[in-house]
Amino acid sequence: MTTTNPVPDTQDPRATALEPAVSVRDLHQKYGDFEAVKGVSFEIRPGELFGLLGTNGAGKTTTIETLEGFRRPSSGTVRVFGQDPYGNPAGVRERVNAVLQGSGLMEDLTVQETVALARDMASTPRTAGETLELVGLTEKTRTHVRQLSGGQKRRLDLGLALLTRPEVIYLDEPTTGMDAEGRIDTWRIIQRLKDEGTAILLTTHYLEEAERLADRLAIMHRGRVGVEGSLQDVLSGWGDRVGFTLAADVPTSDLPRLDGAELEVENGGGQLRATYTVRGGHVDERAHHAVSALLAWAEEHGTLLRNLQVRGASLEDVFLQVADGAADLISD
Amino acid sequence: MSTTSAPAAPTRPQPRPRVSPVKQTLRLTRTEITLFARYKTAWIYALLPLFFLFTAMQLPPDPVVGGFGLGEMTMFGMIGVISLIFGVGHASNVFTARRESLVLKRLRVSGVPPLAIFGGVIGVVFVFSLLLTVFIAGLILAMPEGALPRDPVMLFTSVLLGSIVFSLLGLAVTPLVRNAEMAQMASMVPMMILLFSSGGIMPLEFLPETARTVVGLLPSMPAGELVQAAYTGYDVFGGFAGAEEVGTLGLWTAALPSLAVLGGWIAVLGLVVARCFRWDPRQG
Repeated sequence: MTTTNPVPDTQDPRATALEPAVSVRDLHQKYGDFEAVKGVSFEIRPGELFGLLGTNGAGKTTTIETLEGFRRPSSGTVRVFGQDPYGNPAGVRERVNAVLQGSGLMEDLTVQETVALARDMASTPRTAGETLELVGLTEKTRTHVRQLSGGQKRRLDLGLALLTRPEVIYLDEPTTGMDAEGRIDTWRIIQRLKDEGTAILLTTHYLEEAERLADRLAIMHRGRVGVEGSLQDVLSGWGDRVGFTLAADVPTSDLPRLDGAELEVENGGGQLRATYTVRGGHVDERAHHAVSALLAWAEEHGTLLRNLQVRGASLEDVFLQVADGAADLISD
Repeated sequence: MSTTSAPAAPTRPQPRPRVSPVKQTLRLTRTEITLFARYKTAWIYALLPLFFLFTAMQLPPDPVVGGFGLGEMTMFGMIGVISLIFGVGHASNVFTARRESLVLKRLRVSGVPPLAIFGGVIGVVFVFSLLLTVFIAGLILAMPEGALPRDPVMLFTSVLLGSIVFSLLGLAVTPLVRNAEMAQMASMVPMMILLFSSGGIMPLEFLPETARTVVGLLPSMPAGELVQAAYTGYDVFGGFAGAEEVGTLGLWTAALPSLAVLGGWIAVLGLVVARCFRWDPRQG
């Protein structure tokens, strides 16, 4: 069953019992003097989706390329099924697949020929019919790849990656270029892969995608991981915001201190606005306790919390904080 | 696999049977043939040898080796470098285009080993070189004083080794260029040098002995000489002057240095390709 917020309990026995399929420890990657990746570490276990988010040029693709075996780490270690993936050696290559950032299809072949080739290259492939049905391209078997739309090519990319029944799959912006329907279909497919026990690394520019699918995620910026953890950890670290406009007759010194919350007072348009950032306490309940304490305080002081707003953290808030502003989000 | 024993989980996979790289190579060759046939510009590479064949026919007919004239000897030499045109021209072009469009990377991440990918292009170069060789052999047979090769195995060997050497050379060009157009231009340089040093466009008889020895270290002249020897049954490896007719064993013995040169180039270029080939369009 897919829920909108599939955050597993970190004590999930499945997550702790299995050896990580992918492990990256203190990975550094240099191109000449430029260091694209500066000490990245994470693990992905079977059935787990790890979201790697970040601005353009954050080092996500370099990290994936290292896992795919195209680059040797400048330092640090990378292991896939306990093996060094450099050169995609036997023992790794039959069990791993990927959707690349771009398509990588032979344009002069038909969809059918493309799938047939991929099947003949693979060890234990899905059938062509199953693959095409999975990604909704059954009607397109005789079409030449060059005649497919961008979204259809993306579906075929995903189909080819699933065809080999990989146990580890790297998805580098798999839904870029898809329409809303394609994206939702893809999310459903990815969720199913997770349920089947596939270890998944996903990069995406759509934060909603990561929020829906990622069990754990990391936000990279300029080669470093800014924030890492389960979605809940990441959001709870950012805190809930409770804000209100202070009545003119209440001095700021009267504002209460709340446990586990930080107070900030801003002057905007001649009015003072108080914002409590609540990080302490249980994530699900902390905003309630803060609001309740503030209401009690207001009652006591005979004042009102005007323009009261309570806002939980969104992944976007955290992302923008890590990326210091939205400017870097614009594609290069 | 990790050596630590983890509790068995329902998702724990069975070991996968290995797909034979030979089977993968042959399968990729099949797709390469389909793509070659659909890729119109590739047919220009087939026309080039025919054009050079026509120019060779204009050379004087006086016999130089056995009953064969300079024109015929040049034609034979041309057969030896059909794979040069396909290999250096086609392989460098399509592999650069495929690297840039992520086709190569897609193949690699789906578990296809490099050897099968390189083998596929060597396969298509060999198949089309062989087809063109058979076609030209048919033309030669249909000529007024038509002839069949005296040693078809040596002819076959030349086409095979040539296909490997020149495809590898085409692949070795790709890391130096950024796109397919540049690959076409860049591959023209070695292609022209090798064509003119093959004996398939103009006879190399006028070259001084030392120059001929140096040129003989390039891969195209040995490939051409093997075909000339295969057709005539004469030991032409030291030049046409004084070439003598020899038996099969004698011919192969005389061919050894040429075979060694081709083998050496395969080793060197194989190493260069293995070490320097780029799968990824990103520089670095």
